[in-house]
Amino acid sequence: MIFATVTTKTIRDRWKGWLIATVVMGLMLWWVMSIYSQIDLSFYTSMPAVFRSVANIAKGADVGSLAYGVMYASYGGLILASLALAMGGASIAGEERDGTIGLLLANPKSRTRVLAAKASALVVLAGLGALILWAAARIVPAAVGVRIDGMHPGALVFEMFVNALFYGFLALAIGAWTGRASLATGVTTGVMVLSWFAVGLFPVIKGWEGVAKAFPWYYYNAGKPVLNGVDWGLLSVLLVGIVIFAAVAVVGVNRRDLRGQSVGVTLIDRLRSNPATKKFADRLAGSARVSRIWVKTVSEHQGLVIVVSYVMFLIMGVMIGLLYGLIDQAIQKFAGQLPKTLLAMVGNGDLRTPQGFFQVETFSMTAPIALITVTIMMAARALAGEEGRRTMGLLLANPVPRSTVVLQKALAMVVNAVLVGFATFAGVVVGSWLGRLGMDIGNIAAISALATLLGLAFGGLALALSAGTGRTKIVVYVTSGVALAMYLVNSFLPLSAGLAGWAEWSPFYYFLRGDPLNRGMDWGSGALLAGLFVGLVALSVWLFRRRDLRQVG
Amino acid sequence: MTTQPAIQTQGLMKHYGDVEALIDLTLDVLPGEVFGFLGPNGAGKTTTIRTLLDEIRPTAGTASILGMDCRRDSVAIRRRLGYVPGDLAMYPSLTGRDTLTYFANLRGGVEWPYVDELAERLGADLAKKIGDLSSGNRQKVGLIQAFMNRPDVLIMDEPSSGLDPLVQREFHAMMREVAAEGRTVFLSSHTLSEVQRVADRVGILRRGRLIALESVAEMRSKAIRQVVFEFGSPVDPAVFDGVPGVRSVEATERRTVLSFDGKMAALLKIAEQHDVLDVTTEEADLEEIFLTYYRDEAVTA
Repeated sequence: MIFATVTTKTIRDRWKGWLIATVVMGLMLWWVMSIYSQIDLSFYTSMPAVFRSVANIAKGADVGSLAYGVMYASYGGLILASLALAMGGASIAGEERDGTIGLLLANPKSRTRVLAAKASALVVLAGLGALILWAAARIVPAAVGVRIDGMHPGALVFEMFVNALFYGFLALAIGAWTGRASLATGVTTGVMVLSWFAVGLFPVIKGWEGVAKAFPWYYYNAGKPVLNGVDWGLLSVLLVGIVIFAAVAVVGVNRRDLRGQSVGVTLIDRLRSNPATKKFADRLAGSARVSRIWVKTVSEHQGLVIVVSYVMFLIMGVMIGLLYGLIDQAIQKFAGQLPKTLLAMVGNGDLRTPQGFFQVETFSMTAPIALITVTIMMAARALAGEEGRRTMGLLLANPVPRSTVVLQKALAMVVNAVLVGFATFAGVVVGSWLGRLGMDIGNIAAISALATLLGLAFGGLALALSAGTGRTKIVVYVTSGVALAMYLVNSFLPLSAGLAGWAEWSPFYYFLRGDPLNRGMDWGSGALLAGLFVGLVALSVWLFRRRDLRQVG
Repeated sequence: MTTQPAIQTQGLMKHYGDVEALIDLTLDVLPGEVFGFLGPNGAGKTTTIRTLLDEIRPTAGTASILGMDCRRDSVAIRRRLGYVPGDLAMYPSLTGRDTLTYFANLRGGVEWPYVDELAERLGADLAKKIGDLSSGNRQKVGLIQAFMNRPDVLIMDEPSSGLDPLVQREFHAMMREVAAEGRTVFLSSHTLSEVQRVADRVGILRRGRLIALESVAEMRSKAIRQVVFEFGSPVDPAVFDGVPGVRSVEATERRTVLSFDGKMAALLKIAEQHDVLDVTTEEADLEEIFLTYYRDEAVTA
């Protein structure tokens, strides 16, 4: 009975993530196929071999195989494997981290049985996710009118399923052996990403082609299942891996002491316990961090801010600059052929100029997503999060007005948004310099500042929801929904002459309105976005002062 | 001169939709006393405390602390307040010392030698992260943060949960010291023996209403207790008929057992007319009194 109960409870805790991710992947397939069917694909197929290889594009590919290859085999494979490894890592180690393992194992069932129940939940959800992807792979081409004769999307989805289980069981084995959920997911993510890159890169380096075989990702898609069907020879390597990981997990979980609830040890903790570095680390992690509400709030989000800043600096800044230098010629040829809808989605940038290319690749979507993610997460945790974790009562037992708490949380949001905005700015400056693109630094600063203000405007909305409702889920879902809707309003309504005026109601409109990367700062737009943020913060103060704090637990 | 109450509520009401969590609570807590606030789960104790702290706002009525309005002057009040919430939660990634530093920065007026003294008395480890502490050790950090700025009023909701008996004893001493200095402790608790030991007065809350408000001594004197007489020869139980406070009498041979809640003098007067060899009285404890109130409720219901 426990077998069914633990399995079903785990499925109940996790199904939403799988459902949302796979449905979104299906929708993306639909979007990609409908765009590919309108454009000349020679842009993709004539890209340098290294990019084709990483993005999983076959030479001479047609619409169907290209869409399956990019959306499913490449990104889809990563997403499915990520979901599986998050679940695998949390199986036993997650219950230890949350302090619930003791209660679970107080029932008359062995550790092996609990582990097996968790593993079955993983297999069931990965299977259901694969089913949704398979259904989308059949329905989308028919709906869009793309021919997929002779292709085997079912084989591809099956290989994605096995591949996801491989990483899921790897994380399960590490988590079961060590009892550390973050170690399990961290190491497995590292293996997956490294392997994904290696399998894309090594085949195009002369003399190193065979090295790719040392990485597990190779055994998933090297046989091109969408064209050739399931390659059981290659896939059996992954299947054997899964069996080995399962065995390791069983041995691992039975051989060791269970861990109690713990918050883990960070680098700064080690520095603090070392006499040589104690004084410095204490100042940094201790007294400085808790000197003000806003400083503490800034430090609570350091992990998120560092990762996002790193991605914006290195990948969306430096790498995009280098990439433009490499594919400059290819772009010139195809830029004129892109459909209006596609260009509208990416801010109507002119791909023939580096400014346009950066606007499309870095600023139109990625920078707003990065900044809005940071501000929403901060707003959700700022007020609603402290209520949910039951620390708000204690915080407000101090002689601090509620308005000060809201304002300090808003200040922390500004600081972190500025950090991400600055990382983006610095990355693009370095990328422009390395790629010898000669872009104006003032203009890069202008568009980065506007992106920061756009992120803050949505952060202000999230803060108001946090202040008004005290519920993190409402903050995250409503603000993300509004941001997506505003993005679509700004991108698509202008395509119809009659509706174009409505775009002015979207904050996204004011982000790129003055073409800041070419013409510099549009102060009016900047003031408008800043005013929106300030107004929403004022609203947050008013909302938070007037209501009862929630009682949770 | 009248002493201004440290905590005062006047007709305090709190409704959640149709649910009446607190009904017409009128209460004075005086400076220099430890006030025990009793009631079963869901009686409205935490609602009262959260209203005093301005976490929630009353539907009607007023509350004040140190003569200041809980709503209007909440920030000024909190400068002179120590608080331990029920089901205490703190920041898991901060150490005990970081947590105390954070609150000390927000509060001001914290002397670190005193913090160290409190930590020493309670045996608290301030170097560990809150998330790595057991619930009892976490509670110690919670207690230190409430005491550390020597507040004029301490409001504590189930503060001794998770503490071992030795630490509990030290904590009780700390509360008595606060009261001895003329400061005030408002203690909401389920641990009736604790309230009995430290509280000067108690208030009992039932379904949002205050049903009793008395000093512990008074309450105990009025409580039904068992009085046992050993006589030299059998005594007719009827001799105790009509004595105020006698609820029942049982006589076996030379032993007479009475349930009694009146004044002892009247009872002893009757008894001494017979050959009394020994008298024992079983002291009523707060638990018995508390249960009596709730038994009454069960009968009424």
